[in-house]
Amino acid sequence: MNAIQDLLTLMFFPGGLFVLALGMSYEWIDRKLMARVQNRVGPRWFQPYADIAKLLVKEEVIPADSNRLLFIALPILALAGALTAALYVPLAGFDPLYSFKGDLIVTLYLLSLLTVCTGLAGANTTDRFSLVGATRTLTQLFSYEAPFLLAMLGPAVAARSWQINEIIADADGQWLLIVQPVGFVVALIGLLGKLEIAPFNAPEAETEIVAGALTEYSGRGLALFRLGRHVELVVGLTMVAAFYMGGVSGLPLFVLKTLLLLLILVGIQSLVARLRIDQTVGLWWRWGTLLVLAQWLALVIWEGVQA
Amino acid sequence: MDTTVPQRFVVPIGPQHPALKEPGHFEFTVDGEQVTGASVRLGYAHRGIEKATEGRNWVQNLYLLERICGICSHVHATAYCLGVEKLAGVTPPPRAQAIRVLVAELERIHSHLLWLGVAAHEAGFDTLFMYSWRDRETVMDILEALTGNRVNYSANLLGGVKFDLTSELTDKIYKGLELLEERTYQYVDVVTSDATLLQRTRGVGVTTREQAEQLGLVGPTARASGVERDIRVEAPYAAYPDFPVKVVTATAGDLEARFVVRLQELFEAYRLIRAVLEKLPPGELQARMPRKIKPAETVSRVEAPRGELFYFIKSNGTDQPERIKVRTPTLCNLASVCVLAVGSQLADVPMILAGVDPCFSCNDRMVTVYSGDTDHTQWTWKQLRQYGIDYYRR
Amino acid sequence: MDTQEALKSAEALLTGYASTRSEENRLDGTLAPENLCAVVSNLVAARWGYLMAITGLDQVTLGQLEILYHFGAGAAILTLRIPLPRIPIPSVDSICPIIPYANVYERELGEMFGVEFRNSPNTDRLFLPDDWRSAVYPLRKDAVLNEE
Repeated sequence: MNAIQDLLTLMFFPGGLFVLALGMSYEWIDRKLMARVQNRVGPRWFQPYADIAKLLVKEEVIPADSNRLLFIALPILALAGALTAALYVPLAGFDPLYSFKGDLIVTLYLLSLLTVCTGLAGANTTDRFSLVGATRTLTQLFSYEAPFLLAMLGPAVAARSWQINEIIADADGQWLLIVQPVGFVVALIGLLGKLEIAPFNAPEAETEIVAGALTEYSGRGLALFRLGRHVELVVGLTMVAAFYMGGVSGLPLFVLKTLLLLLILVGIQSLVARLRIDQTVGLWWRWGTLLVLAQWLALVIWEGVQA
Repeated sequence: MDTTVPQRFVVPIGPQHPALKEPGHFEFTVDGEQVTGASVRLGYAHRGIEKATEGRNWVQNLYLLERICGICSHVHATAYCLGVEKLAGVTPPPRAQAIRVLVAELERIHSHLLWLGVAAHEAGFDTLFMYSWRDRETVMDILEALTGNRVNYSANLLGGVKFDLTSELTDKIYKGLELLEERTYQYVDVVTSDATLLQRTRGVGVTTREQAEQLGLVGPTARASGVERDIRVEAPYAAYPDFPVKVVTATAGDLEARFVVRLQELFEAYRLIRAVLEKLPPGELQARMPRKIKPAETVSRVEAPRGELFYFIKSNGTDQPERIKVRTPTLCNLASVCVLAVGSQLADVPMILAGVDPCFSCNDRMVTVYSGDTDHTQWTWKQLRQYGIDYYRR
Repeated sequence: MDTQEALKSAEALLTGYASTRSEENRLDGTLAPENLCAVVSNLVAARWGYLMAITGLDQVTLGQLEILYHFGAGAAILTLRIPLPRIPIPSVDSICPIIPYANVYERELGEMFGVEFRNSPNTDRLFLPDDWRSAVYPLRKDAVLNEE
């Protein structure tokens, strides 16, 4: 009985299909808002579903020079990583499905799995655009990962716990972005980097390297990567909202807070040009990391004084 | 994965590539993100127009040459008409010349706004791209109302123009200009103050004045480097002697300067159009043209949105030309891309490329379609698909 | 610089060669191929305008192929005409050492008219397809284009 219930939770609700649907809905909201900002009509609500469905039924062409096993396995691994990460966050206002000490670190690394898989997928083919894209993807990963991680650890330090629901419980509805503004900003911009959206979309700059690391992907592989990206969008928004905006207990609050964040993301996305990869790295290591480290130091000292 | 990594890592851009909406082929040798070499190959949009003109009469050629380019079609027709009229010794009426200028400036607005959008897109600034193309619709609507076509307006006839201005049309143009002028101020503000865009444009692809002269640059690209080269001023044609142009130049020579120069030229175009509308000379629209033209040759130059457009026309006494040579501004400017790209970042290459506003269909115009040998029959969709599968499973 | 002044100074630069005023703003100078580089060097040294285009003219009846180098300074146009025999493949010195950007014009002319440019840094095809038949020069009047 328990096994069946577990299976249902994992497969349909609130894991599995529900997460996918949520991811695609948020993707649609992102695209629609973006379009409205740019004076376009934008897609209808089912467009992300239609895109994925179309990609799933299309023929998948596997380049001759690539490792077939890796080519097929990487998208699956990427999506699996994103879906697993979703199990540890308070998605849609529900308590996390699973929780243990240190799940914050695990979640953050599961989220990075998608990016690593994208990079490896690019490096797996001999296509020039893919190779350049893969280099850029991984370079970018190394530039935003540390500051993003530190930004997420800020609330954890304040709560003296590495467990997501304990951190949220500790904040007790307080908006941490007021006491840790730098962490909030870095986390939000780090999310832009994670999702490879403007201004951090150099790894898939279509005017330079076509589709970047995923240039050779078509059909199912591309669909899985894109699903992974959609899920990551929701998970990332949930985490930032939960940590910095006083938790997301209950569906209405969840929707409100994540949409607010999404609106900010769309705003940034539509107002900026693409940064070159060297500029991205410079931005993160010169400003992002230093600022968040400074805040972290202040936080640790403050905690020490209090104790 | 292939174990033999090539010594030179070549990133091809084109013939099919999202950075170029038209087919040209560039090969950039890169070392990491640094470009260490570049070469260009053209001709993917060959239509053999220069050869084709030799088998058509003067009037037919007008329509053929107008179709060299979809963006700057009017200047091609104007250059041709002015040349042929000079050969035939015909002076078109002043009203026709003024209308030619009017359409040419409207076309310049449309072309520059189009370029602004493309360049913004290359920089990954899609919002600016969407906005500038939306505003471009205003001028497209004006052109459609004037001539009946959004592109390839066919405004020119040998010896004159095809349509006249009515008061409703004039009002429509004034209204459109007002909107565009307001928008252009905003664009100037964006391209000179937006931090992320400036990171991609300021100091990128710098062409000094000496380089610009050495590379033989023309048009806004040259003017952004401080080279005052504008045929409308140096050798005024059509009604430009009556409506003098102020040359817009910048000194920086980087991509930002190219943005600014093109945008400032828009204001100059608005001013010119208003001047033409206010002082439109009365009179006829067309002068009579002879069918045959005595043997002679002439050079006709006009300032296209992208720079100097050069026509060499030779007649031989029949109703067909002996030879028409077209040198488009893109050919002058393209060679500079290969020079400028070397040493820059790969990410900047599409920007540098877009910075000269290349127009490949202008460029590729002179070869007759090669019919090929007969055993290369047409492929059916099924065969093509099978070929693709076999190719990849090889 | 005034157009007439520019033409006068061009005439001065062309002293010793046959030159005519073909139109009021144009000066034509006819040169032997071996003199081309010297004249072009003079023009560049005197900073007289810039190279606008290179045109080929196939004159079957005269049995010659004429190459026209158009220079422009303001409204003034100077055309250097180099008559060459059509057969065998005419050849002329490349002016790329003097004017580097002339290369694209020379490549275009070379493949379209079958002209050989000596000392050219790059004679690769620019416009014609890679599988274009050799020794077929499409813009020559007698080119057979659709032969099987």
